[in-house]
This record gives sequence, structure tokens and C-alpha cells, in this order.
Amino acid sequence: MSTASTQLTGLFDNTVLNRVERMRLNPRRRLTNRSRGEHLAGKGGSSTDFADYRDYASGDDIRYVDWNIFARLHRPYIKQFLHEEELHVVLLLDASTSMLFDDKLQRAAQLAAAFGMMGLLNAERVSVFASHQQVDQPSMLPPGTGRTRIRRLLTFLESIEGGGAVPVEESIETVLRFHRGRGIAVILSDFLTFSDLSRSLNMLYNSGLEIWGLQIMGESEVQPDVQGDLRFVDSETGSSLDVTNAGELLDVYHAQRNAMVTLLDGQCRRCSGRFLSIDTSQSLESVLFDRLCRYGWVSR
Amino acid sequence: MSWPSFLFPTGAWFFLALIPLVILYFLKLKRPLYTIPSLVLWQAVINDQRVNSPFQKFRRNLLLLFQLILLCLIILALMQPFLGSGPETDEHVPVLIDISASMAATDASGRSHLEKAKELARALIGNLRGSGRIALFSFASTGRRLTEFTDDQYLLERALDRLQPTDLPGRLDDVLRMAAAYTRSFPIDRVIVFTDGNIDDLVDLELTFSLDVRRVEPGAANVGITELNARRTGPEDWDVFLRVAASSEDLLEAEVRLYHDGQLMAKDTAEVAIDESERFVFPIRSAEPLLLEARLVPAGSDSLRSDNTAWLSLPEARNLRVRVSPDLYSWRHAIHGLPRMDVDEAEQPQSVAYDLLVSTTQDVRETEVPVRVFIGVIPDELEDLVTQEDDFADVIDWNRTAPLLRHVQLREVQIGQKLIYADGAGDADLEERGFEVLVAGASGPLVLQKREGLEVSFWFLFHTDRSTLPYRVSFPVLVSNVVDTALRQASLSEVQSAPTGVLPPLHLEANREYVVRAPDGEESRLTSTTTGLLTGAPAGSVGRYDVLDSGELVASVGTGLLSPQETTLTAVEELRFTELNVATGEAEITMLDSDRPLWWLLALLAFVFLLVEWWYFQRARGVSA
Repeated sequence: MSTASTQLTGLFDNTVLNRVERMRLNPRRRLTNRSRGEHLAGKGGSSTDFADYRDYASGDDIRYVDWNIFARLHRPYIKQFLHEEELHVVLLLDASTSMLFDDKLQRAAQLAAAFGMMGLLNAERVSVFASHQQVDQPSMLPPGTGRTRIRRLLTFLESIEGGGAVPVEESIETVLRFHRGRGIAVILSDFLTFSDLSRSLNMLYNSGLEIWGLQIMGESEVQPDVQGDLRFVDSETGSSLDVTNAGELLDVYHAQRNAMVTLLDGQCRRCSGRFLSIDTSQSLESVLFDRLCRYGWVSR
Repeated sequence: MSWPSFLFPTGAWFFLALIPLVILYFLKLKRPLYTIPSLVLWQAVINDQRVNSPFQKFRRNLLLLFQLILLCLIILALMQPFLGSGPETDEHVPVLIDISASMAATDASGRSHLEKAKELARALIGNLRGSGRIALFSFASTGRRLTEFTDDQYLLERALDRLQPTDLPGRLDDVLRMAAAYTRSFPIDRVIVFTDGNIDDLVDLELTFSLDVRRVEPGAANVGITELNARRTGPEDWDVFLRVAASSEDLLEAEVRLYHDGQLMAKDTAEVAIDESERFVFPIRSAEPLLLEARLVPAGSDSLRSDNTAWLSLPEARNLRVRVSPDLYSWRHAIHGLPRMDVDEAEQPQSVAYDLLVSTTQDVRETEVPVRVFIGVIPDELEDLVTQEDDFADVIDWNRTAPLLRHVQLREVQIGQKLIYADGAGDADLEERGFEVLVAGASGPLVLQKREGLEVSFWFLFHTDRSTLPYRVSFPVLVSNVVDTALRQASLSEVQSAPTGVLPPLHLEANREYVVRAPDGEESRLTSTTTGLLTGAPAGSVGRYDVLDSGELVASVGTGLLSPQETTLTAVEELRFTELNVATGEAEITMLDSDRPLWWLLALLAFVFLLVEWWYFQRARGVSA
């Protein structure tokens, strides 16, 4: 009881939280917003970090003229500084029925909390979308920055209830209707959809979001224990599929799963994004502090 | 390659059972439900399998597939498929089966020739298909139709089962005539004969179809009696002759015994082979009639039993009773010179029963005499065909092979009476009225012969006293021939054992019904003729036949097979017909057009499928467990 009361969140314990606080997101590209932030953008900004000189042009703010250079060379030069821009972190959490298996939704929420805390602790704008029953009105946490948003973020994630049959591509397109701003779109889903994700991922990319696809699979999906003649029932749609001697088809199943991972990885890479497939049998710590670090998703 | 045919094609209706099977399968199929997050991956797996394996759909329903195959195999087996060894027949085939005595001969395994023939015939019947029809005939000395043309295999096989060998020799004539009679009603191209080859090779028939003779394998060694007869050597003395023959090239030993009323009268030992038959002579003295039974007791194996017994009836030993007209001096003189004669030459007949009558009138025609000689008489029935004139006549020709004229020389015999045919009459007219010309003159017949039942009469149309014949050396020879004929007719000189078939005529009371009891106890009723002859009694079996009058035994006669052809089991290689010869071939069962049934193969396959299905699903269940 005392332990629970001291925990900041039920998603993970404080030791993980402490380590997450020291980490920050590591996007591949500088897709930031003009509003002030903590990410240094290109030259011409208003930060204190010097970037370069350039010739004075008519209309330039004379406050940025380097008078010492003018004194020596009798020509005006403008002093340029790096921008400090804000990174928008969009967390898209697939909360459909399929994510209820093998604690996939739990793991997705944990990772979303970790990514969100990294963003908020580094002055990024963090928003969270959870797609489940309601397609048109997704459950969302509006964009916000600052440490004060951490509590709201964790509460939101803890309160997500899975269900529904919204495909991930529709969730992406719905998110894009509500979201404005450049940054990172972290998609936490099992990506088990019959449709092609290329279009949705391209839309994300074109809207200035770097795609981080994180596939979360359940243990029963990675190593299914099935034998004999079965009638598989889709948890989301309720449709069924008769399979005879399922045990003999596991090799084909694994080949199909690997092919899907390869396909999703390629689609994300074509959008200058990243993709990683994990399963719930892997601990949260190993994913956060090992795999994501090794693949350069986050830095300490 | 020929496609299989089906003996029970209507069994194909059972294929309708596949429909409820499929319906029941899908109704009863309960797969365990397994809820998974999404079907995405499994759908991809199934799609991949369908692309890579066109039989995936069947594999998905492997149990149904097994059950369908199993049911199909069972139904196909039920339809009794077979591979025909030849094209379908649309012909009518008479099948003749030999049931002569030799067909009872057995081989080393104890199977008779008839059983082998039946087996061959059954294979033929089993091969019957299409619009083919078979008519079964059996034959021994005569033929018998067993069935009409039919494709009813049950009927044919039942008729076949009833066939039993007889004690009769085999002849094809009658049965082939019966089969030939069917050619007017049915398109018959060939006739099949199943025989052991022990048949008379000479067939008096013109074949209008092809004859397919199939011989069964020869049997084991056989020894039997082939001849039994007796010749009178004295007033009360007989020499009984008996011949024993065998079918084997090796010498076979047998004991020959002669019985009378169960008493052994003589015996001897025979050692015979196929080319070395042995003849035995047993002297018998008896004045009374005897019924002798000859038995053969083989020392070793003997494949045919019916030829081991034969019967011989010896008549009462007496003199020949002769009646001669007193005016026929030359005849009386010649007859007196012959031994064992009781000659009645009185003016009026002294008795009513004679063995030989020599007369110059037709008044005695009503008298019961086996042999009659009429001198100088033209039969009443020929008076419109032949006339007599007082003129000289010469003998032109005579039948030298006739018993009456054996060793008789008639050349240059002068005859003082001339016989002349009426206008337009000739030999053919005489033959139409039952007369045979024995001696012919230039203008008409001189001596005629007529047979009426067992009686024979000789008609000298000229008076012998008005010819030079009594003065010729040939005359006593002629008289001797007449007496010999009378002796044979009266069975006073030699007697033959009666072969199976029909009993010899018996002299009994006239117009009386008698019961003839066969050796197997079967009785037949016959009525004697007006002359007291009992004829036509069937005698299909070897043994003693008793003739009963109101339950009292009045005569006994025995029969024997007495056929060298049957005893030696010699198969004829070729049948000689009027215009062609037909080879007989040994038939093997495998050489026949026999169908190969496939039902057992399908049943075996069904059983194997059942085992595979059981194993497969037991294995799958074990893995699941």
C-alpha cells in the first residue's frame, strides 16, 4: 500500500521513471516548430548559440550587426544565431480489441508514457491519441508542454480502455484531422490490418511527422500454440477462418509474420521513419533501455 | 486395355449416399473455436497455401475426403467390377457337356472328368455378358437339352449342378443335331463341347457352325471289361469270352471273376496295359439259361468303376427248331446234314414255335418264327410290282456281304422262272415296301430280304427246284447261312452281353404290361407287343435289370459298359465329320475367356484406406494431446 502510494504511475515503477527522465527522443530529422523550444534549429534563430556571419542586407535588424567587425573592416556584417525550436511528439496508441491480447495494450501504454515523459521533460509538445471505439472522435490528450503535463499524460494513458475494431490506418487519418505541427509520430500498434498502410504513412510524412512505428505483438502471436483443425475467430470483426492441421502451417505463419515486419519496416523507411517490432514477452526495461537506445530511437 | 465392366451396375445408385455423407459431414463438423487478435496473418497463411497447393481445399477436409474415397470404394466393390478378357459376346452359344461313362473317371486328386468339365463350363457361364446367351446340352450316347438359350447364370449353374455321369458311351451325333436344329431360330456361330475326348470320332453330320472342343485333363489309370460274349461249343457247352483292357501304359493287374447267382464259377488274373488287352475264355456247361455276372477287381487304383461289371445271359441249350415244307426235298436234305437240328417235315406243323421256317406258301406268315424262308413265292404286297414267267433267267448280281449269301457263288446258276418288274417298277419301289434285293436278275429281282422287328424273312421269288442251285456247291453253304442266321436270332450259337443304353428285346407274353426294375431301384412300365416282344426298356446304368409281371420275376437281364473307347480313356485327337475334321484341344481353366473380378481389390483398398484414416487421425490427436 505504501509502495503504491509512492508510485507516480501504475504503468511502471519509479526506477524506470527515473531512468526515463534522463533520456530524450532522438529524431532523425529536424522536424520542429517555429515556436520556441529546446531543439536548436537552423541559423537565423534567436538563441544565444552563435551560428555564422553574413553580409548585411537592407532591412536587416541592425541589432544583430557585429559592431566590432564593422569597426575593423568598415563593412556591416550580421551575426546569426541558432534557432531554438519546439518538437511535436504525437503518440498514437492503437487501443483496438486486438491490442487487448497478451497485455499488448498495457505495453503500448507503458511505452507511450515513456515517450511522452521524455518529450515533456525536454520541453516538447506532446499529444496522445488513443483509437478504439470512436473513430471520428478519438480519445485524445491535447498537445501540451512542460512537466506539469506529466500527471495528465499518465492519467490519460492509465484510463484508456481497449476495444473496438478501428484499423490503424483509419486511426492515423483521424489523427491527422486533429493534429497540427511537425515532429514525431510514434505509432504504437500491432499493425494487424488487412489494408495497405502506405497511404496513411505517406500522409503522416507529408504532414511533417517523422514516423516511428513500434509494433507490439503478443506472445501468442509470435509463438502460437495451435494444433489440429481449428476455427479461428477474429477478435475485432468476429469473422472466422477454418484451418486444418494448423500445427503444420506454423512455418508458413512465421514466414508471413516476418514478411509483414519486413513490409512495415520498408514502408516506414520510405517515409524516412523507423520501425521496430517487439513482443510482450520482452521486458519494458529491455525495450526502453536496450533496444530503443541501440537502434538510436532515444538517447541518454 | 479394356475398361472394367460391372456385374451389378445398378449398384451405382448407392453413389447417392455420397450426398447425405457430405451433408452430414458439414452438419456434424465441430471445429474448436480459437479467438485470435486478428485473422490477418492466418488469412495470409491460407492464401499462401492455396496458391502453393491446389489440393489444399481437400486437405482442409481430409476426413471428408477419406470418407468419400472409402464410400466410393465400397460402392464400386458392391457393383462387382471385373476385367473382361475379351470383347462382349452377342452370340448364342450351345454348350455341350459330355456325361458319358468316362466322365466319371477320376484323377489322382479324386476329381472326376465331369467335375473338371463343370468347372470349365462355370467359368464360361461366369464370363457371360452383353447380349450373349448359352443353352446347355448334355450328351452320352444321345443328347439332352438342359436349358433354353438364357443369360440367367443361376439357371445355367443349377442345370450344371444337376449333371451326373451316366454309364453310356459318348457320341456327338444326336446332340449336335439338336444344336444344329437351333441354327434355324438363333444365329449360332460356334458350339462349345466340354469333354474328356472319349467319344466316337466319326460324326455323321454336316457342320454348319464352328465346333470348339475343349478337353479336360486325362484322368488316372483305369482297367475294365470291354467285351463279354459266349459261343456254343456243344449241346450244353459254352465258351464265355471276356476281354479286359486298360488305359495305362504300365501293366495293371486285376482279378477277373465270373459269378452266377452270387456263386463264383471261374476266376483268373489279368495283367493289361493300353496296348495289351487280355482275352479270357471260361468254359461253362449248362443246359439251363444262366445270367452270368463278370466282375473285375483291380489290384491297384482304378479311375472308373462302371466298367468293372458286365452281365451275360446264356439261353437254354437246345436244338434249332426247324420247319421245312415236305415238298422241299433239297432243303430238307441239306438241313439234315447240320448238327443240333430238330426238323419238322410233316405235312402239318407239329408245333407253334419254330426258330426257322422254310416254306413254299405264305400261309404260315402269322406263325411266330424269327427266320423264314419262302421258296417260289412272290409276296402279296409285291404282286403289282413283280410278275413271274416261265422262262429262263440268269443271275446278274447279288449282295455278297449279306449274311445269307456269304461264300455263295451264284454265277452261271440256271433258273427256270423269270421274274419281271412291272412297267415303271424298280428296286426303289421294293425298298419303299421294306424289301431289299439280295439277288438281281436281268429283268427283275430273284431273292428278297425283309426285316420286321426282330424277324427276318428271305423270299426266293423262283422255286429253287426249278434251278440248278440245289446241284451247286453253294447250296449247302446257302442253307448253312440260313441256319446260322436262325441260330443267331435264337441265341443258340453265340450271345453277346448287352451294353448300356436300351435293354435287348425280351420274348414275353403278348400285350402285357411289365415293370422293369433298374439296378438303382427305379422302375419303368412297358407293354409287350402283339408278338410278345418287350422292347425299348431304358438301361442307362450298368447292372441287373429285373422284369416283373404283377410283382413276380419273369426275366432278368444285365448290362455292361463294354466300350473299349471309354475304358481306355483314350481321347480322340480329331473328330471326323462329313466334310471336315475338327481337332480337339486340351483346355486349361486359365486358357478360357475368364473374367477377372476386381471387387476384392477394391474391398482391400477400402480396408487400407480405413486403416490409413484411423492411423492419420489417431496420430493427429496424439500430437494435439
